[in-house]
Amino acid sequence: MRNLPRWISPVSWIGLAILYIPLLAVGILSFNATRYGQQWGGFTTAWYAMMATNDAILAAAWNSLLVGVASTVIATVLGTLLALGLHRTPWPRWFRRGSDLAINLPVVTPDIILAIALVGAFAVLREWWAVFKPGLVTLIVAHATFQISFVTLVVSSRLATIGRDQVEAARDLYANTGQIWLRVLLPQLMPGIIAGALLAFTISLDDFVVSFFVSGPDATTLPLLIYASVRRGVTPEIHALSTIIVAGTMLAIIAVAWMQARRDAKPTE
Amino acid sequence: MASHLVVDGYLTTRPRLYGRGGLLIAGAFLWMGLFLFAPLGGLAGLAFAQRGEYGGVEWIFSWANLTRLAGWDEFGFSWSHLTILWRSVWLATVTTLLCLLLGFPMAFWIAAKRPAQRPLLLALVMVPSCVNLVIRTYAWQQFLGSQMPAAWLAQSLGLVPEGAALYPTVTAVYLGMVSCMLPFTVLPLYTSVERLDWSLVEAARDLHAGRWRTFRHGILAQCMPGLLAATILTFIPALGMFVISDMLGGAKFLLVGNLIQQQFGSMNDWPFGAMAGLFLVLASLVALWGLRIVSEREAPHHGARR
Amino acid sequence: MRLTAIAAILLSAAGLAAEDKPVRIFMYSEYIDPALAETFKARTGYTLDVQLYEAQEEMIAKLQTGGTDQYDVLVATGLLVKQMVALKLVQPLDQALIPNKANVGKQFLDTAFDKGNTYSYPYFWGTSGLMYDPAKVQGEPTWAWVMDPAKAPGPFTLLDEARTTLGSALVWQGKSMNSRVPAEVKAASEAVGAAKHSPKCLGFAGGVDGKNRVVGGEAVVAMVYNGDAARGIADKPGLQYAIPKEGAEIWCDLMLISAKAPNKAGAHALINFLLDAEVAAQNANFIQYASPVEAAKPKIKPELLNNPAIYPSAEVMKRLTYLEDLGKDSRMWDAAWTSVKSQ
Repeated sequence: MRNLPRWISPVSWIGLAILYIPLLAVGILSFNATRYGQQWGGFTTAWYAMMATNDAILAAAWNSLLVGVASTVIATVLGTLLALGLHRTPWPRWFRRGSDLAINLPVVTPDIILAIALVGAFAVLREWWAVFKPGLVTLIVAHATFQISFVTLVVSSRLATIGRDQVEAARDLYANTGQIWLRVLLPQLMPGIIAGALLAFTISLDDFVVSFFVSGPDATTLPLLIYASVRRGVTPEIHALSTIIVAGTMLAIIAVAWMQARRDAKPTE
Repeated sequence: MASHLVVDGYLTTRPRLYGRGGLLIAGAFLWMGLFLFAPLGGLAGLAFAQRGEYGGVEWIFSWANLTRLAGWDEFGFSWSHLTILWRSVWLATVTTLLCLLLGFPMAFWIAAKRPAQRPLLLALVMVPSCVNLVIRTYAWQQFLGSQMPAAWLAQSLGLVPEGAALYPTVTAVYLGMVSCMLPFTVLPLYTSVERLDWSLVEAARDLHAGRWRTFRHGILAQCMPGLLAATILTFIPALGMFVISDMLGGAKFLLVGNLIQQQFGSMNDWPFGAMAGLFLVLASLVALWGLRIVSEREAPHHGARR
Repeated sequence: MRLTAIAAILLSAAGLAAEDKPVRIFMYSEYIDPALAETFKARTGYTLDVQLYEAQEEMIAKLQTGGTDQYDVLVATGLLVKQMVALKLVQPLDQALIPNKANVGKQFLDTAFDKGNTYSYPYFWGTSGLMYDPAKVQGEPTWAWVMDPAKAPGPFTLLDEARTTLGSALVWQGKSMNSRVPAEVKAASEAVGAAKHSPKCLGFAGGVDGKNRVVGGEAVVAMVYNGDAARGIADKPGLQYAIPKEGAEIWCDLMLISAKAPNKAGAHALINFLLDAEVAAQNANFIQYASPVEAAKPKIKPELLNNPAIYPSAEVMKRLTYLEDLGKDSRMWDAAWTSVKSQ
């Protein structure tokens, strides 16, 4: 990109610092021998060992991952289709405005209100369909419900910046509608879809209020475990797990980037 | 017979487009209708009911919750609720501005990197969100504690008394808020910035537009969809956020989020909670509508328009 | 989880009476000795499944939204029992299945919040008072340290609990902790509001946070629960916990059975099990809160029994009051607390 002002880079580093200071503190705390309180009690890796054998923490981490992935997949598919359907159709103005508000509804609704609404819906549905008993299914459905909006919002903002010209150029080359959508629109939308999915996934991972209400005894997620432990002080085991999650995510990202770099380094055919 | 029209250089009819569009949006709208719109409608009814003596719901309909929300409580009129609302809006506004001030440069910074590096940096911005909000806020508490380098520095500069921690303070609250919301600002901004058509910016420069005018008409106008999404995704969650202000601000002041949450918790007054919650929803939707109209006026008049 | 599952399979293979139906208890985190799960399994054949909530109000909200068929035993403070009964969240106990009730101390039976123990038996009890650094404060502990900015010896924190904090302010002003007089409650809320605005006030905190601030030396005095104080004092000997001279709150967490408990027999078995002298002593030694099971006392560690922060003296006990359900007047208290926290 063209010559950006010089201050862009330092400001960005400040932003990154604000994002990463708490992670640094979490990492340090995970090696602190003191269980409660903030004093440094010496270096230890004991919390990692304890965490690795703590069935409750591992089960919760697994549930969180499962719920996060499943709900993100559902929300990404439904949310992307919704964005496409709204943007690529000449809907009347009132319909576009109305659906715009409808999409924003889950974003503007406070967590607790969402939670109460969802448990209410599940309680009614449970009368006919036992699948809606509190558990993983309700968690996934609930998360997907509020995630759809976030995906749609991000994908829409991307769609709005995709010009007509390429689509028309493709049409001039006798591409049919399917080809246009798959070969022209989708690749250009991909960054938006990925960004939307990432956003949705992190929101799922972080959700406490909705999860507390819709989950059942067999479906504890990490935030539920974490909030419950806050009352007696966050345990270093939780810090250890958080550190592993961050480190694992970082490694995965670096691995992907490395593979990408290798692929790019190959002579282009 | 339906009239024909041309879309994407292709001759079609309105009913055909509606059919296709309807299919695409049906899934999401059915899902949301069943799990969200319908039950929210039910909650709207609850908002006009009354709390029972022991916290249940008595289905006696009245406007009492509405007047209570406006400020009339057991001790007569008070500004409590309006103060709470104003404070929440202020906190969310300042947080959003701070996030935009940091997020815009970050979006450009990432977009200016080589294409292979961009997803990496974008992911780097998102990684902190993988750690639970409470854990990160707790970590801020530790970082701002009295025995930590940041506090030593402030103490030696005489900014805070000897032995004092840097929280609870207003600065700490904003640090926590920005730290939490920034990824949600950068992500949508980036999706717009990355698609920026620099020929328009250069055209503005060629026309000897000043820096500000180049930015406003060349860049900002093109980024409007992303800016709008970023503002919504930052401001609205910030408006309902209260964990950060409780943990880093000493829980001294209620925010709208606290007010609603405690109706479903310690106060066990669900009807009033529903009323306060729905009020917040409606107010936010009105604000969004306004934003949308402003942004449509600002939108660029070239190919990017629907 | 996996280990207990394997253990269950082994047990059933060995021909022991093993029920696979778990007994689910809904409680705070770190509120039961995890080692007891095995003993419970060995004695009754049931698997213990501990489910956690962060706040008791959240538990009630969850039960109200149809959660009553998800849990067997609920742990809730006495203050909430009337409400839980009125909302039909709990069911009467089958007294014949709980012979160990004889082990419970008399003062914790037949209390005002559950006459005749129709619904509940006590689990642990405690107090909320002041934790402070004796090197930095002088005189007899008083609520004035945290309620009167002029008399505050230094930075302090208050508890983020409407009933406890406003109630303590009422006691400090010589009124009833359960006052139903609007003028009194309003005066108390104004006092707390003034304290909040003092530069010495580090805010409203949960028990753990308040304790951490005193241990870290950032606060001189904090309003905390005695259990948190005991942990803080273990971290930094020399700190103290006291019930202010004006008096303070005593609370008792109870065990109740959920209205639609899926494992009613198991729930009774668990309550009876936790009231066993040996079990209660082991639990009390682990949790370090005061046990209402009188018969357990001989087996509770003497250093805990002699710790006044955990088991206050008889003289101090006289100054303690239970919070009561205020029914319709709770709206007035809510408004008072909202005004404290909004202005």
